[in-house]
Amino acid sequence: MPAPRLRSRSLRKVFRRVPGGRTSIHYKRKKHKQARCGNCGAVLKGVPRELPYKMRSMAKTKKRPERPFGGVLCSRCMRRNIIDKYRQ
Amino acid sequence: MIEIGRVVVKVAGRDAGKKGVIIDILDDKFVLVDGETRRRKANILHIEPLNQVIKIEKNASHEAVAKALEELGIKARQTKPKTQKPKAKRKTPEQLRKLKEEKRKLRDIFKPKKKEEAQGIKETTLEDKAGLAEAKEEKHEHGHKEDKPKEKKTAPKKTTKKKE
Repeated sequence: MPAPRLRSRSLRKVFRRVPGGRTSIHYKRKKHKQARCGNCGAVLKGVPRELPYKMRSMAKTKKRPERPFGGVLCSRCMRRNIIDKYRQ
Repeated sequence: MIEIGRVVVKVAGRDAGKKGVIIDILDDKFVLVDGETRRRKANILHIEPLNQVIKIEKNASHEAVAKALEELGIKARQTKPKTQKPKAKRKTPEQLRKLKEEKRKLRDIFKPKKKEEAQGIKETTLEDKAGLAEAKEEKHEHGHKEDKPKEKKTAPKKTTKKKE
């Protein structure tokens, strides 16, 4: 029986074959969902799906695209936004 | 629509949403843009032409573009002048020697006790030797008995400790 704190579904089980031959269960945090566009809901590219401790060690430029609304809107919606603004 | 002097907005990339002017037409696909944006080649699909046109020469300098855009109330991009950092020069042998000497001095400051102790030991040994020598002399003076000199040997050591 695992420890009570490990019985929660907020942790995922990772089966690891240990050097002794038996499989042991490692409990790890789940990754967050993929980042999505705030306008159309498309999956954002260039936004990593990592645990917070890895995101912390990453450079800011590696965490989202280097353009206006990078990491919030997809490139299509961003373009649409700009074009709409200037065509009025 | 696409001609030299046409004011455009960049729609893609890092400079998206920034205004610029077409300076040169390179190809049926590419143009050269400068202004708020960086001065760079841009795909026609990545720019949105506006209804303003400026009189400007082909391949005009960034300064000329900046002047022309000021009339429209657009501030051209200003790059910081590149300041070259002074390169770290190799230290000459003389400088290295000086550094070593300084390090030695620091060592002396931080390790004073051991040296003092060592000096103290040396002194005691010397004094002991002196005491022994005196004892030997006394032996010769007093006589040939073996018990007395042993006591004398211990005595001078004590005196040395007191001196310290």
